Amino acid sequence: MSWISKPNKTTRPIRLMLGLSPLLLPYLVLFCGGAVLTACQSFGVLTPLPHAGGVLDAYTTLLRDASFFASFGFSLWVATASAFLAVAAGAFLAYRVWRLPGRLAPLSLVYKIPLILPHIAVAFLVLIFWSRSGVIASVAHSLGLIREMHEFPNILYSGWGLGMILAYTLKGAPFAMLLALALLARFDIRQIQTAAMLGASGIRIFFTIVLPRLAPALHTGFIILFLYSFGAFDIPYILSESRPGMLSIHVYNIYFKHDLARRPEAMAILTLMFAFAVVFIIAYSRAVSRLENGVRKL
Amino acid sequence: MNRTARHGSTLVVLALLFLLPVVVLVLVSLAPGWRFPDVWPAAFSLRGVDFFIRHHEKILMALASSFGFSLLTVAATLFMCLLPAAVFARHRFPGKTLLEGLLLTPALVPPMTFAMGLHFIFIKVSLADTIPGVVLILAMFSYPYMFRALVAGFQTMGEDYRICARNLGASPADILFRVEFPLLVPSIIAGGSVVFLVAFSEYFLVFLIGGGSVPSFTGTLFPLLSSSNRSLAAILTLIFLFLPVLLFVVMDISLMRAYRRKGMMSA
Repeated sequence: MSWISKPNKTTRPIRLMLGLSPLLLPYLVLFCGGAVLTACQSFGVLTPLPHAGGVLDAYTTLLRDASFFASFGFSLWVATASAFLAVAAGAFLAYRVWRLPGRLAPLSLVYKIPLILPHIAVAFLVLIFWSRSGVIASVAHSLGLIREMHEFPNILYSGWGLGMILAYTLKGAPFAMLLALALLARFDIRQIQTAAMLGASGIRIFFTIVLPRLAPALHTGFIILFLYSFGAFDIPYILSESRPGMLSIHVYNIYFKHDLARRPEAMAILTLMFAFAVVFIIAYSRAVSRLENGVRKL
Repeated sequence: MNRTARHGSTLVVLALLFLLPVVVLVLVSLAPGWRFPDVWPAAFSLRGVDFFIRHHEKILMALASSFGFSLLTVAATLFMCLLPAAVFARHRFPGKTLLEGLLLTPALVPPMTFAMGLHFIFIKVSLADTIPGVVLILAMFSYPYMFRALVAGFQTMGEDYRICARNLGASPADILFRVEFPLLVPSIIAGGSVVFLVAFSEYFLVFLIGGGSVPSFTGTLFPLLSSSNRSLAAILTLIFLFLPVLLFVVMDISLMRAYRRKGMMSA
């Protein structure tokens, strides 16, 4: 046995597996096992009630169900809109915060507040602010923009999931800021100064110099925020409108509010969500790496 | 554009987006009757605070329970990730990139998708409705944050401390616990803070796996959000905000003191 180890040497597989096992075991048993169990139950295996029908019954029911497709499309819309808005706002605000002079920088820490608040609390804030009897409506009234409560646009029940999008954006923008600021910390301000001296406008500097540098953080942020909004339960349970609902609410209703015979259907939706998430991660990372290959690195 | 005006507008936007909600929460907690069209509450009352004091036992119990299982989740993720992170930071092996990608997926895919499948088995093996069951589920989708922080920590630390300690005759256990672990504390706190927040603020999975038996702060807050008792909901939300902040500040200060005592940081 050598007493000086070289970094990055190749180690015997058994020792390697042993070192990885505290993570690999729970990963295989709980995460992979859980996903497999979800899939099994969607096929009618290992369900609380013995499943009478065929293996793919739950899937055929779903594929014939227009409300499932409506939910799926609606979830995609809410996830895309909120992740895009959060990442765009986060990138812009991070840049502005980074430009703040040192003595003002501590004040900018307020952006971390929504990071600490749980999702349900952020949903509560959206209710307080944006409902027809909320703070914004009151302000509009005192400014003379509306005279009655019902003149305020019905944002939370517009059928477009705007309440959820607002909540996810408020919660997600600080997260995107955090990721972007971590990259900006290593960014050389002289690049911006040079561009400004050569006559570039502020907008041009942001889009052609800063944004490409932030791209890796923003892509990571987009994937995380998109998939979270796509499949999470907490915010939709408070802010969702009745129809079309988010997929997670659809699953919840079938799982808890209907009889056990419909369990495979809930599990089939979950299996499709899992598969969609995996495909999305792979496709998005591929697309990003292909895009970046074509971009000239500074 | 004028520089002062630009910095000023940045701060105003930040305050409107992120600070104003807190101010409004304080107002809501002190003015239960605040309604449209008042921009400023017409009357203040301590009804919400009173309600909180009358039910403080149940609320504090839920808070303690949430705090407890969140800290246990941090401990569980640390246990899961410490050795594997060392392996990832130090060794090259075939399939490493793929494995790293796979190990990060639990933070990305909706946790419902595997948790609801597990629920059935958790009931069979009596893990449902218990704290260990809740901790397992929470750890399962929050560990990637700990894992990434630890891998980065091991990488910045490098191999020199370990080699030096080994040359001086330290056993592998000594190296891990007396040399490397103290150096990793900042990474553990960075990863642990995220894990703590994820666990502390989760509602649905604690409700699913914990049933009614594991009280949680989110579970206490949830029914209040859509009830008429907005004041109490606002008070609980404010506690939600200040408790983790307090925890992080205390941890930061004690860490700084400890480092200064050991002379690892210039004073």
